Amino acid sequence: MRVAALLLFALTFSAFAAPAEPPSYRLDDYQAPVPATLNGQPALDVARAKALWEGGALFLDVLPHAPRPKGLAPEILFVDKPHVSIKGAIWLPEVGRGELSAQTDTYFRQSLSALTAGDVSRKIVVFCKRDCWMSWNAARRAQAYGYRNILWFSEGVEGWRDAGLPMETIKPYGS
Amino acid sequence: MPNRRLLLQCALLLPVAAHAQTAPNEDTWIGLKPMFFGEKPIDEAPGYVTLDAPARAEDAAMVPVQLKFSAREKGDRVVAATVIVDENPSPLATTLRRGEDAGVFDFALRLRVNSYSYVRVIAESESGALHMVKVFVKAAGGCSAPASKNPEEAKANIGKMRFRTFAGQGMAEAQAMIRHPNYSGMQMDQLTRMYTPAWYVTQVRVLQGEKLLFSMENGISLSEDPTFRFSYVANGQPVRIEAKDSTGAAYAQTFDADGAAY
Repeated sequence: MRVAALLLFALTFSAFAAPAEPPSYRLDDYQAPVPATLNGQPALDVARAKALWEGGALFLDVLPHAPRPKGLAPEILFVDKPHVSIKGAIWLPEVGRGELSAQTDTYFRQSLSALTAGDVSRKIVVFCKRDCWMSWNAARRAQAYGYRNILWFSEGVEGWRDAGLPMETIKPYGS
Repeated sequence: MPNRRLLLQCALLLPVAAHAQTAPNEDTWIGLKPMFFGEKPIDEAPGYVTLDAPARAEDAAMVPVQLKFSAREKGDRVVAATVIVDENPSPLATTLRRGEDAGVFDFALRLRVNSYSYVRVIAESESGALHMVKVFVKAAGGCSAPASKNPEEAKANIGKMRFRTFAGQGMAEAQAMIRHPNYSGMQMDQLTRMYTPAWYVTQVRVLQGEKLLFSMENGISLSEDPTFRFSYVANGQPVRIEAKDSTGAAYAQTFDADGAAY
């Protein structure tokens, strides 16, 4: 009985910890356990992410950002909470959703082009939060755009922060 | 049996781990309090209002919350209650104002909760004193959850109302429902993949004959099709529900005391 219970626990846990990569973008329920890999390439651990950061790789935070809604009465308080991220990271909100509006797609392509000065071999580390499919989606999308050195840091802001690495408040790119 | 217990523990542990940094704390409230109440003191004295809310909500876009106002001496009666969801980007859910009777009164509504948060009610008495109750609710994504109805369907029924009473079930209660998509402005349009602008019920008044039962001034944190359940005893007088939304549109409907539409 106990062995069966432990086995069940292990199976359940491992299934949660690393689901298989889906054939295409994740469309919803973004805050959930993520795969171990992106297109078969293992996600970065904190040590490797740190080494890349020190080496000057481009760090992209793809956490979504809902701005003050259009149509909200001016007297109603809306708090745009400061977003604390990896120091020096560029924040490209919304680009990790399963499907993008034409506007967001253009924003992602143009931002990448500007940030890399058109160098598709530039090392780019994509992240958001821990257990956030948006970073997986965005990393995959950047690869589809033709960027050849996309690295996925699935531990995200929390992994970086828990390791005591430098953080700072950032604002959406282009805002 | 042990395996079942273990599984249950896993199910409970995993979501908690994902939100480990969002344990109950007062930091957000400390920042918000002056914006709503300035320097006025707020105590947590019992006996004014109680708050019931689920510790973990099944549907973050529809978290049931119930307020129960106690009977108080004249001068110390609660006349208004502000409902705040600390961690919602727009924390003010509603300010509820009570009718002149201001006796025992139960009031239930449904809220959007965007991330693990305290839901708190600040009751204001006739003397102007403020008394607070709070419950920590584990729910996430309620402000951005897609609408349950498509936009055409929501528009076709906008402003339609329902009023029913529960006297038949032996409860001195009634329920008012206002059909409205109550878009928070934080929901993605499923077709354009852009944020749908906020479009929400800003004001509600419910009258029994000429007498005001309650009124509300709302932010974007009420659920779709705003629905309220409240203490009610039919007295033969018709019940009128009035609502305004953020575009300035006004809606009203009058119902028979026992719930059938006029």
